[in-house]
Amino acid sequence: MLQLEHYKYDAARCVGCKGCVWVDHIYMPGVQFGMKCPSAACYLFDSYAPYGRMKIALAVMEGRLPYSDKLADIVYSCTMCGACDAGCKRNLDLEPLLLLEAFRQRCVAQGYILPQHRAVAERIRATHNYFGRSHEDRARWWPEDVKKTGRGKGDVLYFTGCSSSYVHKEISQSIIRLLQKAKIAVTHLGSEEWCCGYSLVTTGQVEEARHVAVHNIEAALKSGAGTILVGCAECYKTWKVEYPKLLGKSTADMGYQVVHASEYLAGLVQDGTLAPGHAVPMKVTYHDPCNLGRLSEPWTHWEGTRGRFGTLQPPKEYRRGTYGVYEPPRQILNNIPGIELVDMPRHRENAWCCGFGGGVRDAFPQLAGWAAGERVTEAQSVGAEAIVSGCPWCKAGMQQAVRESRSPVEVLDVVEVLARAVLGRVG
Amino acid sequence: MSLAPEVYDALEAVVGSRYITQDPVDCEAYSGSRGGHGKDLGMERVLCQPPAAVVLPGSTREVQDVVRICNRYQIPFVPVSSYWVTHCAPRVPEALLIDLKRLNSLEIDDRHMFAVVGPGVIYSQLLEEAMRRGLYTTTPGGGSQASVVANHLTCGFSPLNYRTGFAERRILGLEWVAPDGELVRMGSLAMQDDPFWGEGIGPDLRGVLRGYIGWYGGMGIVTRMAVKLIPFQPERLVPSGISPETALEFPANRIRWFNITFPTREDLVEAMYSIARNEIGAAVTKVPVFWRYIARAKSKEHFWEMWEAPGKEEEIKNSHILRVLLVGYTSEKHLEYEIRVLEDIVKDLGGQFRPTKQSDESWLKNADSVGMWWMTGGYASIEYTIDTLDCGVRGGEYLAELKTQCTPPLMPDYGDPGWFQMGELGHVGYLEFLTYFDPEDSEDNIHKVDEWYYVTGPKKDIEIGLYNGFTLQESPVYLSGPAYGPNFHLWMDRLKGAYDPRRISNPPWPADVDEVIEKVDWLERDW
Repeated sequence: MLQLEHYKYDAARCVGCKGCVWVDHIYMPGVQFGMKCPSAACYLFDSYAPYGRMKIALAVMEGRLPYSDKLADIVYSCTMCGACDAGCKRNLDLEPLLLLEAFRQRCVAQGYILPQHRAVAERIRATHNYFGRSHEDRARWWPEDVKKTGRGKGDVLYFTGCSSSYVHKEISQSIIRLLQKAKIAVTHLGSEEWCCGYSLVTTGQVEEARHVAVHNIEAALKSGAGTILVGCAECYKTWKVEYPKLLGKSTADMGYQVVHASEYLAGLVQDGTLAPGHAVPMKVTYHDPCNLGRLSEPWTHWEGTRGRFGTLQPPKEYRRGTYGVYEPPRQILNNIPGIELVDMPRHRENAWCCGFGGGVRDAFPQLAGWAAGERVTEAQSVGAEAIVSGCPWCKAGMQQAVRESRSPVEVLDVVEVLARAVLGRVG
Repeated sequence: MSLAPEVYDALEAVVGSRYITQDPVDCEAYSGSRGGHGKDLGMERVLCQPPAAVVLPGSTREVQDVVRICNRYQIPFVPVSSYWVTHCAPRVPEALLIDLKRLNSLEIDDRHMFAVVGPGVIYSQLLEEAMRRGLYTTTPGGGSQASVVANHLTCGFSPLNYRTGFAERRILGLEWVAPDGELVRMGSLAMQDDPFWGEGIGPDLRGVLRGYIGWYGGMGIVTRMAVKLIPFQPERLVPSGISPETALEFPANRIRWFNITFPTREDLVEAMYSIARNEIGAAVTKVPVFWRYIARAKSKEHFWEMWEAPGKEEEIKNSHILRVLLVGYTSEKHLEYEIRVLEDIVKDLGGQFRPTKQSDESWLKNADSVGMWWMTGGYASIEYTIDTLDCGVRGGEYLAELKTQCTPPLMPDYGDPGWFQMGELGHVGYLEFLTYFDPEDSEDNIHKVDEWYYVTGPKKDIEIGLYNGFTLQESPVYLSGPAYGPNFHLWMDRLKGAYDPRRISNPPWPADVDEVIEKVDWLERDW
C-alpha cells in the first residue's frame, strides 16, 4: 500500500507552474485544446487540478483539513490519466499521480469510499468481472470457427479483459483471428481469467486488487506462457505496473512479459507475417490511451531515503512517459493501404484522456462524457472520419460521446482496422 | 473563514453558482504555497493564507460587478491569472480570490500585428497563434506558462528583448477595472472598439498601471489587453521529441544558436558590446553555468554528482560562455550575413565556437523556467537589474562575493556572477542573480535565507548603487524606496491611495515585505 506521507515532499515542493495541466509548451496548439487535464478543464477551480490537489493533500497530511464529501469529490473526480505526471516530470520530477493514488488508498483505508466504487468491488468479488455478468459467459466471445489451443500449449497467453469478453467482442475476436492467421499458438485462461482489477486499484481498493492480482498471476504462470498479450490498455497497465506495485516488486521480477496487441501485431506486420492487403480508405486519427501511452512504462520498486536538496538515495527510476507504447499502433495504421493518419493537436504523452478511467466512469459519468465529447470534437477538428484507439474502454467512452453528439465520426480499435485490412472482416 | 451570507449571495448573483465557492477544500488549493517565485520564504510562511472564497468571473462586466461588491462590503480581493509569484497569493484574512482563467479570449490582427488577449491566455498559446502568422513575441523569464497580460504589466523580461524591447513597452489599448470598480478603457479603446493604438487621447494611464515593476494585482484588474507582435521569419519550427526531451527544430537556413567560449569575462563582455554595436543577433546572453548542468542532468541526483565533482570551482571560475541566437528575419542571406559578422567578432576576441543543439528548448516558444526548482526545491532570484551591461556584470560580481558569506545554507555556485545579458540592442544590460536553497533545511537556516533575500541583498544593492526598481518586489519598500526615489515609496503609497482608497486590491502590496519584517523576530528593521 502506498503511504501518502511518502509524497509529502512532492506536495510541498509543487510550485504551481501548471505544467500538469497545460500541453507541453513545445506542442502547445493554442487556446483551443491547450489543456490536457480533463478534471481541471471541466471544473475550472484549482482544487480540481493536480497542483490544487497537491496543496489539499498537504493540508490533510498536516491535519488542517478534515475528510468531507467535498474532499472525496475532489480526490475521486480525476481520471488518473497521468497527463499531470508526464507534465510535472518534464521539469520537476514530482509525483502527482502516485500522490493521488496514495490519497485514494488512504481514504479507503479510513473507510471513506464512494458507493459507486464499492459497488464495482462487490461485482468483481461476486462475478470476477466489472459488469457483474455471469462468470460462465466470460469466454463465450471466442469465435466458434477458431480452434482453441489447449491450456499450456502456447507461448502467448491472451488475457481478454472484461470489456472485450462481454461487450466489445469485436476486439477480442479480431485479435484471435489475426493471431490464427499468423499461426501463433495462443493460450487462454478460460474460466480462470478474472477481471484484472484496474477499477479496484485505481480507486484505492488495494486489498481487493491484490486478491485478483494474485489469482491472475498464479493462473498465468501456471499456463507456462511467458508472454501475456492484452488488447486493453487498462489490463496492460495493471499487469505491467500495478501488479508489481501491489506486490512490492519490479516489473522485471514478475516472471512474465506483457505486450499489447498493437505491439505484437505491429511486429507481425513489419516482418511480413500479416499482410494488410485490403484497402481501408479512411482519414483516421489515433487516440493514445493513457494506460498504454504515458503510463505504461515498467515499475521499478524503490525504497530509500531523501537527503539534502531533496536528493534520493539510492536514485529512483522515474516513469516520465517517455517510453510509452506510442508508435506500434501508428505503424500498423501507416501500413494499411488507404489509411491517412493524422495526429490530433494533443497526442502521445500530451493526449487528452477519454474520461473513462480512474473510476470516473462509475462515479462521475458527467465528467467522463464531457471529456470523451471533447476528444471527439478534437478528432473532428483535424478532419478525421474515424478515431482509432487501443483500448475498449476508450472506445466505449468515445462511442457514447459520438452517439450523444450525433457526430459522423466512427470509433474503432486498431485491431479492428487491421483485421479489416488483413482479413477483410472484423470479429 | 467565510464571507458573510449577503456578500456571498451578491457575488453568486453575478457569476452564477457554478463559479463561486467558499468550501475550505476548494480554498486550500489557492493557498499561498501555490506561488512559485518566493515560495517557501518568509512571505509565504508568515503572510500567505487561503482565501475566504473564490470566484471565476466570465466577462469584464462580471469582474467589474465583483470588484464593486468588494468595495461595497470592504472585502479585500486578489486577482490571479497564472499565479506565479507569492505576492499574488492572498496575504490578509477574509480575502476574495478572483480567478481570471475564464477570460481566455485571443484574437490576432495579422495586418496590424497585434493580439488582443484576456488574462487567462498564456505565452505559449499566444506564440503558437502568432508564429502561424509569421509573427512572434517574447517568452519571458517567468516561463511559457505566464499570463500574457500579467507579464506585460510586470516588465516582461526575456533574452529576446534584445531585439523586441521590453514587453511593458508593447502594451496597446486595454480595458481596466480600477480598484474601485470603475471601468477604464485606454488607448484607442477609449474611442472605439479597436485597441490598435496605445496612446489614445488624453492622459496615458499605462504608466500608472505598469510603473516599473507592476502592481501584482494591487491596482485592480486588466481584463483585456492588446499587445504588439513583431514580424518573425516565415519558416515553421517543427516540434519534436517526447517529454522531457521536447524541442522545436530550427530551420537551419533561418535560425541558429551559437555557444561561444572566451578567454576572460572581459572578452565576453566586449563581445556582447560588439555584437550590439553591429546590430546583429536576436538574443545575446551569458547564462549561469549551473543551467548547463541542469540541461545535461538526467535526474536531480545526477546533477549533484556532476556539480560537486572535484575541480568544479576552478572550472566555473574560468567558464565564460556566451549564447547568441541569430535569426534571418528578412532572408536566408540575412542570417548568413549575421553569422559572418559574429565569426569576425569571435575571432578578434579569441573566442571559440562550441557545439550546441539547433533547436529551441528556450526562448522562442518554450522557457523551462520551472527547472529552476528542480535541483534544490527552493529558488528565488535576489536581483533583477535593468541598467547598463557594466552595471549588471559588476553587480553580479559583488553579489557573488557576498553570497559566499551565506553559503551554506545557500547552494554553492562557486562564484558564478549570475545571468547577465543585453536588451534593446545593447542599450540595456540585465542582471538576474539567482539564489537556491533547500526548503527542507532547518528553521534557523531558512531564516538565514530570509535575511539574505529580503534584507542583506537589498542593502548591498543600495551600497553599490544597484537599485533600480525591479528588486523592489522582493525587498522592503521602506528600505529600497528612499534609495531609489528618494520618495519612491511615498509615491507608490500615494498612487495606491488615489486609485484604491479602500486599500482592498491585493493588500498589503506594495508594503508586504515590510509587513513580514514587522511580524517576525528573525529579521530586523535596522534602517
